[in-house]
Amino acid sequence: MSTPLSEIMLNDKGFAFDPATGESFQLSTTGLEIVRALRDAPDRDAALAKLIAEFEVDENTARRDIDQFLSSIEKIGWLP
Amino acid sequence: MNALRIAVSGLHRGENPQPGAGIIRSLRRQYPHAYIAGLIYDAMESGIYVEGGPDAIFPMPYPTNGAEAFLERLDTILAQSPVDIFIPTLDSEVELLVHLKDELAKRGLRTCLPEKAALAQRAKNRLGALANTCQVMMPETISVHSVAAAVWAARKLGYPLMVKGQYYDAKYAGNEAELASAVSKLLSEWGAPAMLQRCIHGPEFNALGLGDGEGGIAGLCCIRKTIVSDKGKGLGGMTICDKRLTGICQRLIRELRWRGPFEIEVMLDEARGEYALIEINPRFPAWIDFPSMIGANFPAALVEMIATGGPAAPLPECPAGHFYLRHQVEVHGHIDQLAALSTSADFSAKL
Repeated sequence: MSTPLSEIMLNDKGFAFDPATGESFQLSTTGLEIVRALRDAPDRDAALAKLIAEFEVDENTARRDIDQFLSSIEKIGWLP
Repeated sequence: MNALRIAVSGLHRGENPQPGAGIIRSLRRQYPHAYIAGLIYDAMESGIYVEGGPDAIFPMPYPTNGAEAFLERLDTILAQSPVDIFIPTLDSEVELLVHLKDELAKRGLRTCLPEKAALAQRAKNRLGALANTCQVMMPETISVHSVAAAVWAARKLGYPLMVKGQYYDAKYAGNEAELASAVSKLLSEWGAPAMLQRCIHGPEFNALGLGDGEGGIAGLCCIRKTIVSDKGKGLGGMTICDKRLTGICQRLIRELRWRGPFEIEVMLDEARGEYALIEINPRFPAWIDFPSMIGANFPAALVEMIATGGPAAPLPECPAGHFYLRHQVEVHGHIDQLAALSTSADFSAKL
């Protein structure tokens, strides 16, 4: 079961609903920003650049957060 | 369409709810002035007493009493209070009525029933073959005719497993003693064979729909069961949109050329990441009024299909993210109603 990230229903408090499985999740603040960045940006590098610029974090921290988040969503069947 | 006269059965809404009360509620949304007769098998069917329920109540003999008794009773009812459309809601009714299409037509009673062959093809002991044809995964299943055969078959399948009655009921068996008890009970209640099925671990999903008889589907509502009772009943459900599940439903209904209401039950086998077919029911489920609340009134579409004799207009999609919760309430009756329904075969209770 895989649902593209673009199809996940999301509100501005980080409540996420997978329309294919009917499961819902509460994202952390960081997770919510990463989802937004991945959905808005054309690719992962652009998402990384967006997070660095918006949240004034260093590249290593932003990269680590994205990697951890992608690993988590892979386990629940979301496709970045 | 205000002069519609419709008979609906299966009015119980307790722990093990039947679809009839939900069907009536949906019909009232679309056709508030329709005359609705409730056909009942027990005076304690709670939908008899509900506000906005049937206009009249008629006790019926059980379908297992045979065609003659069923038709004789229908004749009495039709003479007393004519209806044009009959929506059967119990598996046992559908099993009987598919053999009585001509008899019903002679009486001017219109229904929407599948072909006999299609009904047989989705029976529990033939479901595996249908699943294979439609490339749908189904848990390994073995039909057994005795407890001894079940014990032998269970060695192949391994424990735990599910034991299913020929027509109804399923029991979990975690060991040989539980298996023997379950098989013995189900064989005595529902006859042979009983089915042993490998246990699937994962969430349950249901799809209800309306087949047009040509292989198409007029509408489909898919849910994930979010709350399941200890009897396996869905006390809550969330609409979902998954192309894989929709595809499974379309393939099955196309193969069966199913006409009329259906419910397809599947589970997501978490170990394989695949849907597994569990059952196809030849009727609407008890949660039938839920899609009506989000704009897809399947009972009204069914009535339109029967009344016009043509295909139903496509129903609106049921978007993901709507949920239902089963909400129990008390209904009020009086001992006079109970007495009348319990003692008189001819009683018509205008409530």
